[in-house]
Amino acid sequence: MVLEQHDPALEVIDMPINMGPQHPSTHGVFRMVLVVDGERIVDVVPHIGYMHRGGEKLMETMDYRQGIGYADRTEYLAQFSAELCYCMAVERLMDIEVPERAQYIRVILTELNRLSSHFMFMGAFGIDAGIFGTSFTYAFAQREYLQELFEEVSGDRLMYAYFRVGGLAWEVTDNFVERCHEVLKHTQQGIRDLDELMTRNEIFMARCQNIGAFSAEQAVAYGLSGPMLRASGVPWDLRKDEPYSIYNRLNFEIPVGNYGDVYDRYLVRLAEMKQSVSIVEQALGQLPPEGPIVPEKMPRRLRTPPGEVYARVESPRGEWGVYLVSKGGDKPYRLHMRSPSFCNLSALKAMTIGQFLADAVVILGSIDIVLCDVDR
Amino acid sequence: MTTDGENQEQAHDPAAAPAPSDAEAPAAAAAEKAAARPARAAREAEAKEAPRVAPPAGAIHDLLAAAVPGLEMKAYVIPDITGESVAVEVAPERIPDVLTAARDDARLDLKYLRTLTGVDWQEEGLEVVYHLASLGQGHHLTVKTRVSYEAPNVPSVASIYPAADWHERETRDMFGINFEGHPNLVPLLLPEDMTDHFPLRKDNPLQEIEEWQGENLREGAGEGDE
Repeated sequence: MVLEQHDPALEVIDMPINMGPQHPSTHGVFRMVLVVDGERIVDVVPHIGYMHRGGEKLMETMDYRQGIGYADRTEYLAQFSAELCYCMAVERLMDIEVPERAQYIRVILTELNRLSSHFMFMGAFGIDAGIFGTSFTYAFAQREYLQELFEEVSGDRLMYAYFRVGGLAWEVTDNFVERCHEVLKHTQQGIRDLDELMTRNEIFMARCQNIGAFSAEQAVAYGLSGPMLRASGVPWDLRKDEPYSIYNRLNFEIPVGNYGDVYDRYLVRLAEMKQSVSIVEQALGQLPPEGPIVPEKMPRRLRTPPGEVYARVESPRGEWGVYLVSKGGDKPYRLHMRSPSFCNLSALKAMTIGQFLADAVVILGSIDIVLCDVDR
Repeated sequence: MTTDGENQEQAHDPAAAPAPSDAEAPAAAAAEKAAARPARAAREAEAKEAPRVAPPAGAIHDLLAAAVPGLEMKAYVIPDITGESVAVEVAPERIPDVLTAARDDARLDLKYLRTLTGVDWQEEGLEVVYHLASLGQGHHLTVKTRVSYEAPNVPSVASIYPAADWHERETRDMFGINFEGHPNLVPLLLPEDMTDHFPLRKDNPLQEIEEWQGENLREGAGEGDE
């Protein structure tokens, strides 16, 4: 507003505010410079790359078995999705058929991993949106049950490296199916708890509704994927639209949002968790009780013929892709990781401009980034 | 295929990078290696390029040809996890036309840029790869273009696909490709002052293999396992 008696000495200037790289709400090492006019954000300059480790270059020096471990370390909240994608790329080039039992176990673990990743989101996002520690403790208690199961199967709490090109590293534990059902009981209770704690919480709704909204056209143009894209009303899910593994044998729905705001992103993730529980239950029912977990004629040394392939899976954050170029031999010639965190974060600027400063934290939280995956 | 060992020799000799003109030293080293590992030499002699099969008529490349009049392109089939897909190679100056048509043509409807990245083909130049998808039609297309080391200029598509903004900055960081017309082509993942060093180029070895690490880390180590 321009006053009638305008005094140039009192001119309003835009103020840059630095946030991060060490800031509790940046979910890792992420820095953004926010330029504000009063409380309104007029410009955002995101700075990433603090955790850039040259992962794509490293992958060029690792043979196809070693690369699996690196995929874990890149997407450390959805490790099974990343492993699955990497293995699918190599399997496609080598023309390997994965045995049925291995396919089912992969899908069960990947979906359980989606649940654990979304629990992580619920906990951390609750803190961002003003529920403080309550949602965090509830969500992390649930995540712990899932992680115990993953540890039983793979021997590791975080860096599973359990999938192999062609199948799995070893058989699951004898009581795997019972354990999954047991964990799912806890998970369902956890989803109900979080639903009741957050969905109709007045503070939470006030912080989230009508914030950072993106239209369907914008979401597609900015290359958003996963819950971010679906919250804007685009029913695109690779598990349905480009079905891989055994997803076409399972019945599930794709939840979509109406307004594309932060609240819708939360609702889509919550609805997705319920779908994942149903997917795991169906897959457990269809799981062949025995059978090979790697193809019978599996070469001991993995060599791909020359060629290229772009493999992608629907990870909890969206389309996680691997562009693999081979010139023959046992190592990739070039490997590019398409990370949904990176693509979703690139839309932060467009989402944040015009919003209040305090909402920047909520918008960033709603993207659900994994900074290691952004920087690679 | 250039081995890691050869890469390092190039990097040690600043005159040899990026386009090695003096092929004597690597050739001698390769011959030495070949003598040491005959099985590997036989494999080296295998074809290094995937056979290029033309896609069937009426596939997506024909739609693209119809949408962009006078477009010269090479189309071929590439493997895809949904079966097979089509890749087209076009000249760098046609990239904006091709991608605008791909986005706006009703039958192509490739409104979604999945990813954009580079590949260093050494003697054959630098390649930029665009993975496009149509969420409505459910089809996809890979567009590629090649540029030389001396003039690595490709028109930016950030104004056509906002998603390309960060991808182009990353590709500039890693491969030194100059995306002409990009609004803000400054380092994204690398430090702000790192503008003349391109880590993902092949003349840039990851790390020197030191004496004590010996043969274990070189390519082809552990061949005896087979």
